[in-house]
Amino acid sequence: MIETAALPTASRVRPRPRPFAWVVNPYLLIFVGAVLDTTGEVLLSKGSRLVANNAALTAGVLGWAAPLHSIWTWIGIVSYVLSLLTWLQVLRFVPLSIAFPLVNVVHVLVPWAAHTFLHETVPPRLWAGIGLIFVGILVIARPLMKVEEKL
Amino acid sequence: MKPFTIFLAVFCQLFLVTGQIFFKRAMRQTPTPRPQARIYGELGLGIVSMSVWFFIWIGLLENENLSRVFPFEGLNPVLLVVASWLLLKERVSWNTGAGILLICAGICLASGS
Repeated sequence: MIETAALPTASRVRPRPRPFAWVVNPYLLIFVGAVLDTTGEVLLSKGSRLVANNAALTAGVLGWAAPLHSIWTWIGIVSYVLSLLTWLQVLRFVPLSIAFPLVNVVHVLVPWAAHTFLHETVPPRLWAGIGLIFVGILVIARPLMKVEEKL
Repeated sequence: MKPFTIFLAVFCQLFLVTGQIFFKRAMRQTPTPRPQARIYGELGLGIVSMSVWFFIWIGLLENENLSRVFPFEGLNPVLLVVASWLLLKERVSWNTGAGILLICAGICLASGS
């Protein structure tokens, strides 16, 4: 369901073979963006926790900026920026009504990453919600995958 | 939860949707090149809208528990698809509609845990 209506006719009739086309596949980019977003969330959480017990950093008016003293916070911010750039690239090709529901895969990835890397407890109800979100994403993505296979 | 808090939780989602619509308008491909000023203007409006959403959201999180506010995020997919259909004239299939309902239910279920 890549938007082709707005492209010039010639590019639709004779598509140029691109050796690394898979790199810019918008559906792959949605997943890459979601992974970058998840990485950002996990690293910001890690950065905040590392400085949380440091009274010297968290005291005073600038205490709210204490997480900026951690390298993990900065890597998390870079990850967020890369995620935004990836999202803008996705929007060049995929309708918003499809891209946005698919990017909700972050609601699956973030709890999984928090459980795996931050050793947080994930209650059963959260896993049930994650399961529903995953099924919803599959319902939207399956017809698109079939179309992609035919192209 | 106070009625004003509920109003804010719903109202700020509109800014997120508006921001995404501006991002999409800025990045859409057209047969003829569009003026750079217009593209950057739409990107700028998108960033402003997303910033307004962010600050209202942060304010809500300071005053309410995440588990009480987060279900309102479940509105996003529905609002965004309706906005895409109305404002961007995108086609919405039955699959997309069914998938969005499942995602929204999942977000509400997960956030209540």
